[in-house]
Amino acid sequence: MRKPFLAATVATTLLLAGCGSGSSSSGEVRLRMIESLTSPERTKLIKTLIADFEKANPGVTVELVSPPLDSADQKITQILQTKKDLDVLEVRDHTAKSFSNNGWLAELPTTEWPGWSDLTELAQKKAVEVGGKAYLIPYGFYQRTLFYRTDYGMAQPPTTWEELYEAGKKMTSGDRFGYSFRGGKGGADYAVMMISAYNGEALNPEKSFYLKDKRTIFSTPEAAQAMELYVKIFKEASPPDSVSWGYPEMVQGFTSGVTGMLIQDPEVIKTVEDSGVTAWSTAPIPKGPTGYAFQPVGYAGWGATSFTKHPKEAVKLVQFLSEAKQSIAFAKGNSLIPISKQAQNDPQFSQGAWKAYLQAQQDPKQVITIRPVDYPGWSQFLVDSDRDVQALITGKKTVADVLKSWDAFWTDQAKKVS
Amino acid sequence: MRTFNVRRARFIALCLLPGVVFVALFTYYPVLRGAVMAFQRYNLFDLTSTPFTGLENFRAVLGEERFWTALRNTGTWVVVSLFFQFFLGFGLALLLRRHFRGRGLYQAWVFFPWAMSGFLIGLLWRWMFNGQFGVINDLLLKTGIIDQRIGFLASPGWAMTSVIVANVWYGVTFFAIMIMAALQSVPKELYEAADVDGASRLRQFWHVTLPHIRTTLALIVLLRIIWILNFPDLIYSMTGGGPAGSTDIITTFLIQQVIGGDYGRAGAVGLLVLGLLLSFSVFYLNATRFEKSR
Repeated sequence: MRKPFLAATVATTLLLAGCGSGSSSSGEVRLRMIESLTSPERTKLIKTLIADFEKANPGVTVELVSPPLDSADQKITQILQTKKDLDVLEVRDHTAKSFSNNGWLAELPTTEWPGWSDLTELAQKKAVEVGGKAYLIPYGFYQRTLFYRTDYGMAQPPTTWEELYEAGKKMTSGDRFGYSFRGGKGGADYAVMMISAYNGEALNPEKSFYLKDKRTIFSTPEAAQAMELYVKIFKEASPPDSVSWGYPEMVQGFTSGVTGMLIQDPEVIKTVEDSGVTAWSTAPIPKGPTGYAFQPVGYAGWGATSFTKHPKEAVKLVQFLSEAKQSIAFAKGNSLIPISKQAQNDPQFSQGAWKAYLQAQQDPKQVITIRPVDYPGWSQFLVDSDRDVQALITGKKTVADVLKSWDAFWTDQAKKVS
Repeated sequence: MRTFNVRRARFIALCLLPGVVFVALFTYYPVLRGAVMAFQRYNLFDLTSTPFTGLENFRAVLGEERFWTALRNTGTWVVVSLFFQFFLGFGLALLLRRHFRGRGLYQAWVFFPWAMSGFLIGLLWRWMFNGQFGVINDLLLKTGIIDQRIGFLASPGWAMTSVIVANVWYGVTFFAIMIMAALQSVPKELYEAADVDGASRLRQFWHVTLPHIRTTLALIVLLRIIWILNFPDLIYSMTGGGPAGSTDIITTFLIQQVIGGDYGRAGAVGLLVLGLLLSFSVFYLNATRFEKSR
């Protein structure tokens, strides 16, 4: 009886040992990498970049793990908690702080890497945003712009939220609406964008949910003004159904001709181009009455785990993906604002729909902000605030109710952080 | 003889061991870990400090209006979905029991929703119910049933109806399969005897079919109640619990706690759901056993 038991034990041990990553008997290094914002085309592109890396680094192979988009960050967190079998990972702006807090990310060397000086100022800034240390190298940026249909009687794009409301109202009749409103997941972000613009110079861009005098941006009369207009834009210039719209519906609304305006990330450019819509253009996002527009720049990047058995190779892979040739190819493939200075000479990023991003970058009153993603309640706020926005636009809550609860939440968060 | 029994018992235990280990590892350990988390401050933001906080998470969850809304919605979601799934499934099973040309093909066509993931079904119905681009609005407009588009997922009442319609579409299949299998187990002799006695179809159904399949029905209803309650996939991908929490059920509420990074609270909600299901199951099984013995 003992022999089969022993045989089973040995077989199981061998099987489990074979499952892990690391060095094979031939001395070859096998890296395990995981992505978060997965899509079939993107995975394909990453695989071609990995193939180039493997060619340039004989003896190193990379296994790419691509979990489904909706549960990817949870899966990554679970793997990180076990501290096993992961060398390189995609880190997002809202996961960077918790990953580094828990000691899962390795600090990446920057000074001895020649590619560092080729990164744009924004890329360098965002790389060290968490605790002043480079826990990731961004691969591109998501900055919003206004898309508008020039065939819907709009010669000039609206430059303020009030103008957007007026223009949207004019376009709205029958089955056509002015604005692709986002009432579903991520909708609260647009409300915050408007509130920020209405607070203007008083806002602290480094901690953008707070004013320079430490109060929250939700506590001011300007915030109430912004939210009143926000509700009017929904009620008078947007499809009633948009109370549940997320990203796909917003874009579909614009490309199908149901709506005439849309505020979205640059990745939409390719979708609009492919849709066959020809009479459209882009402009920087609208400003508040203060003359200011504020928005965070969304980003994600590549990082290495603190527990990798092959730190040298893992860092090498992150650096390879972040170098000009690879990062420009990645930004092009995903319609992202690139991280390499060399991309400024690329016609794709300086013409057509991309021009609006350059315009915004050159306008000192189009300000890039930092959202309090490093506060413990950030993830909870994302869930709660979307729900509050739906309650607001469906009349279940008032502007005062919503602003009061958001103000209380972030006042409490400020105490927790300090 | 004794030695033989011991050796045999050892052998059986050894054969069972891998199964026991895997179940313990992948079922009982996560449940236990989740239960422990319910009594800890376990926030994803900082896992370097996870102290025990007693009943704090339970107090926080039970003090939230959203939890009670989700609980009320869960009642509607389970009861209405189950009602339609059961009766439509029963009807379908009775129809499919008959022999007709192409029955196999028809059965496969009817059963295919059961092979799809809840998340995918949610996405499909989300687009079909879309107020601007959805096929359902188009059909209703073209047939003249409505004269303006309905925001199915935009108003609280319609949103709950819409997710229940999608769930009924999905779950009817389960009842149809299970009831059809149960119906096929009823001995033909019983119907022949009933025919000889001159019993009508309705009386045969009431006095022969139903008593014979009652135990199966009780069990599949219980199973389905548990599954519907634990089926957030469809709602989550269709409405995300919205608008304004009107389609939130207790398990979508749990997911929101997880996404919010508060695993402690999520653990507490998980334990409450477990408690609810256990109490219901014990009550239900006792009730149906009583019915059987009577």
